[in-house]
Amino acid sequence: MMRDTRIRRLPMALSALVALALAVLPLPSALDVLRPDFLVLVVFYWSIESPRAGGLALAFFAGLALDVIKGVVLGQHALALTLMAAWATHLRLRLRVFSVLSQSLTIFAFLTGYQFILFWVDGATGNPVTSFGRWLAPVIGALIWPLLAGALGRLHER
Amino acid sequence: MVAFRNTDTSGRTTGLLLRCILYSLLALGLIIVDKRYDHLGKIRRFLSIVAYPVQVAVESPFEGWNWFRESVSSRETLRADKAKLEAELRMAQFRLQRYEALEAESQRLRALRDSTTGVSSRFIIGDIMDVDLDAFRERVLVDKGARDGVFVGQAVLDAGGVFGQVARVEQLTSEVILVSDPAHAIPVQINRNGLRTIAVGTGDSSRLKLPYLPTSADVIAGDLLVTSGLGGGFPAGYPVGTVAEVKRDPAQSLADVDVRPAAALDRSRELMFVWLKPSAVLPSEPLTHAASAATGAAPATAAKTTAAQRPSAPADSAMPAKIAPAQPGGANDE
Repeated sequence: MMRDTRIRRLPMALSALVALALAVLPLPSALDVLRPDFLVLVVFYWSIESPRAGGLALAFFAGLALDVIKGVVLGQHALALTLMAAWATHLRLRLRVFSVLSQSLTIFAFLTGYQFILFWVDGATGNPVTSFGRWLAPVIGALIWPLLAGALGRLHER
Repeated sequence: MVAFRNTDTSGRTTGLLLRCILYSLLALGLIIVDKRYDHLGKIRRFLSIVAYPVQVAVESPFEGWNWFRESVSSRETLRADKAKLEAELRMAQFRLQRYEALEAESQRLRALRDSTTGVSSRFIIGDIMDVDLDAFRERVLVDKGARDGVFVGQAVLDAGGVFGQVARVEQLTSEVILVSDPAHAIPVQINRNGLRTIAVGTGDSSRLKLPYLPTSADVIAGDLLVTSGLGGGFPAGYPVGTVAEVKRDPAQSLADVDVRPAAALDRSRELMFVWLKPSAVLPSEPLTHAASAATGAAPATAAKTTAAQRPSAPADSAMPAKIAPAQPGGANDE
């Protein structure tokens, strides 16, 4: 058990780092709006796959990293990601036997919830972003979920 | 079927709810402390040093590509560039000849009027880092930070004009909020007639607007807007933009004025951080007084005057501390 956990942590940390880099990778501004929340998807994957290895701590610290790197109020992404990762962990046994389509739909719900918490904190701290574009990210995220989960699954297998 | 390999499906993760509540409370606490009290500066600064390698790692391939492109560019291109730069330098020198005389004259007149608005004294150049921050906010990350003496509220220019101001300072980097950010406002003056007002960002980097001009205000397309120096955050007299379009609806009391920013907000790579001469900025009371007495421009400017006296007010009342150029010029990073 102990050894198991240790093996799982390397791909976990690695994928989280890559996702963090993807979150700040410069894109043309037209594409920037379409950028999916890679780190969030990665955290969801690990919450479903092996919640004991990283679990909510991973979600919290990944969120904190997003806060720092995006320069928003500390704790915003951490809060959203923690809550949604907890939800994903709660549903993980069901999620594993879902078809790809139902999985993507569930992920869409998680991402929308995540975006909603961000939206709410933005408003509560007085920097509302009312642009409609932010609600695109959940759609894109749900669309690329099968690819990402497949890739992570392969990484994990090694 | 998406690949989940973990065979450990043994029921519940212990205490999920408890840990969820714990972490959420922690995050909420962070939000409140960060928003209400400014005690997290040190923590944030430390965390940003940890995040710096990621940003540098993301940036380095682009830097490398730029370097590669420059080093393989042909002789012809370099010659063409050189010719262009020489022509530009000649033009700049012609302008500069007049500038020195004009500056001396301006100083003399200012001394007569006994009002000195901000005069810039020291610059450093910073490079915009190739990392994207939030897609929905007009901000950029620059590779100069507290170590170089950058402070919050500092004016930032580019080759064309006013670019923005410093919103957040880390040890090695700083975040600059562009004049086009919807949460940014800058006190400006129409160069042609001295009419003062406030230019507010729109979220679109090719457009600012002047929301506080009455329908009867003397503003036409093509007018140059310069910083008025009121509020003390920005040096006076730098170009902010040119008026692109004025829409006057007789039913409305305020005109709808579009401005094209002078700075290349979406193209610049090098930015200039400006320090004002500490002695050159007067405390705000006599400053507004002198200024409103000085420009006896249009009579129909009641709204404008009140707006100009409190330059920070209309921006976004929820976070005035960040936007308002309230920092007296010489104030250094704490």
